[in-house]
Amino acid sequence: MNKKQITVALVGNPNSGKTTLFNSLTGARQHVGNWPGVTVEKKEGICSSGGYEIKVVDLPGVYSLTAYSPDEVVARKFIIEEKPDVVVDIVDASNLERNLYLSVQLMELEAPMILALNMMDEAENRKYKIDIEKLSAGMGVAVVPMVASKNKGVPELLSEIVKIAEGKKSCSGVKIAYGREVEKQIEVIEKALSEDSLAGKYSPHWLAIKLLEGDEEIIRKFEGVSGVK
Amino acid sequence: MAEKQLNELKKGEKGKIVRITGNSSVFRRLLDLGVVKGSEIEMKGVAPLGDPIEIKIKGYNLSLRKSEAAGIIVEVQ
Repeated sequence: MNKKQITVALVGNPNSGKTTLFNSLTGARQHVGNWPGVTVEKKEGICSSGGYEIKVVDLPGVYSLTAYSPDEVVARKFIIEEKPDVVVDIVDASNLERNLYLSVQLMELEAPMILALNMMDEAENRKYKIDIEKLSAGMGVAVVPMVASKNKGVPELLSEIVKIAEGKKSCSGVKIAYGREVEKQIEVIEKALSEDSLAGKYSPHWLAIKLLEGDEEIIRKFEGVSGVK
Repeated sequence: MAEKQLNELKKGEKGKIVRITGNSSVFRRLLDLGVVKGSEIEMKGVAPLGDPIEIKIKGYNLSLRKSEAAGIIVEVQ
């Protein structure tokens, strides 16, 4: 019998250790190709844990999920259209503030995610103390501290991945409030979008935010949709 | 407190961002990197010919072109 499959996407800032983690997860069982249409490398690998075969996809390193560079477009397209079972957001613990910006954007995509707090050794060297519990509660997602280069935290991460894929753990993240004025607009657009079939695979809340932001790719897609200007 | 363009800061000087101007895609990227209004910034150094410059922001070092830095207005402390 074939093992059950889980797809996991690795996302994170450049140099946060995605590829290091990818290599320690998949070892030599990987395949390098190209994302169709753009010269952005696509790496996939397989590993197994808890009776599952886990397909790991290493996404390009990005600082945000806007549509300004091909890397960002590839990363967000994958998350929205391929709907990986789990999104692992690799965060550089020694540079938390900048890294968490991407995490918040991922949360808005309503992807099932885990925060992998990488480079904990580096953070300790800098005398940073990170309250894992508090971070996890504040973000509303599981947080796994790790040192990917030394294989620390990898088993814990795998068990979290399986838990989320099985639906045993919630991973929705908190919702960001943009203030009354903006929220009102978001609501209006959300409503208009909910009547359109094109919006199906996107989260209407996220779409509304992107449209307000003036995201070119999304605007192109939804031009002419009822009620959207 | 005096307002200055970021590229006018001397090495070691610190300030707070009050305003960012500039072309939209660079502007967006700067926002993504944490260069936002209210952020504390420190000038780390300038390359020999005055371009690029290196700053410290939100706990990490970032290099910018002089032209990009000129669009960032800081209040010097």
